[in-house]
Amino acid sequence: MSESPLFIPVILGTVRQGRASENVAKFVTAHLASMPGVETRLVDIRELATSLADEGEGAKIPAFAELCMVADAFVLVVPEYNHGYPGALKHVLDTNLKEYIHKAVGICGVSAGPWGGTRAIQDLLPVMRELGLVTIFWDGNFANVGKLFDADGKILDHATHTRRIDKFARELVWMAKVLRHGRETVPME
Amino acid sequence: MSTATSPAPPPARLTCPMCGAVMNRHAEKIDTRIAVDAGEDFALLGGALCEIHTCPACRYVMERRIWS
Repeated sequence: MSESPLFIPVILGTVRQGRASENVAKFVTAHLASMPGVETRLVDIRELATSLADEGEGAKIPAFAELCMVADAFVLVVPEYNHGYPGALKHVLDTNLKEYIHKAVGICGVSAGPWGGTRAIQDLLPVMRELGLVTIFWDGNFANVGKLFDADGKILDHATHTRRIDKFARELVWMAKVLRHGRETVPME
Repeated sequence: MSTATSPAPPPARLTCPMCGAVMNRHAEKIDTRIAVDAGEDFALLGGALCEIHTCPACRYVMERRIWS
């Protein structure tokens, strides 16, 4: 099995001005970066050169496609908007396909209210499946996000959220390792 | 006597165009971005059946259509 570090980018799935999810994405990215054998990067979809003149392959973003190609797994930070996931995220995700096949994904839901983005996560699962991504059974849920971080963007209850996100991250790393082994060495007969 | 021969089947394993390593074929997936004729296998699912190859050396990924 390949010994190189796992590359697990964190994708911030909203372009909204004033988004609270940005603090969540930074927190999750920092946690992943602290794990041995893991490399990560925060990918802000707002900074991608996205075209709205087409969908899917026609709107492909070369830099994003290249990043996805070398990734072993993904974390999606997904705020819940109107009981669903952001359209901008879906638009960006749809620009790739082969780059996702047999790779792990973990989803962190974010909400202003008490449910932690659970509906957005549930809505996204069939999309993940169709894109060939393998979902883990841990979610990240960041509820009442307006009260979770201080003015400098630091999470207030660090210990509690670290314990939770660590479970999520360790499961994602496990799945990423197994799938990397599969992609590289297990042929489909 | 006919000397016609069937075309050689495509190689089962691809060579990575980036680094030259032998790639691993690990998935078959319907790609709905590819238009198909009604008579093709899996056309009912709205796309073409493709195979996915990953390079174990440089992680390059290729998709190749499976022709029925």
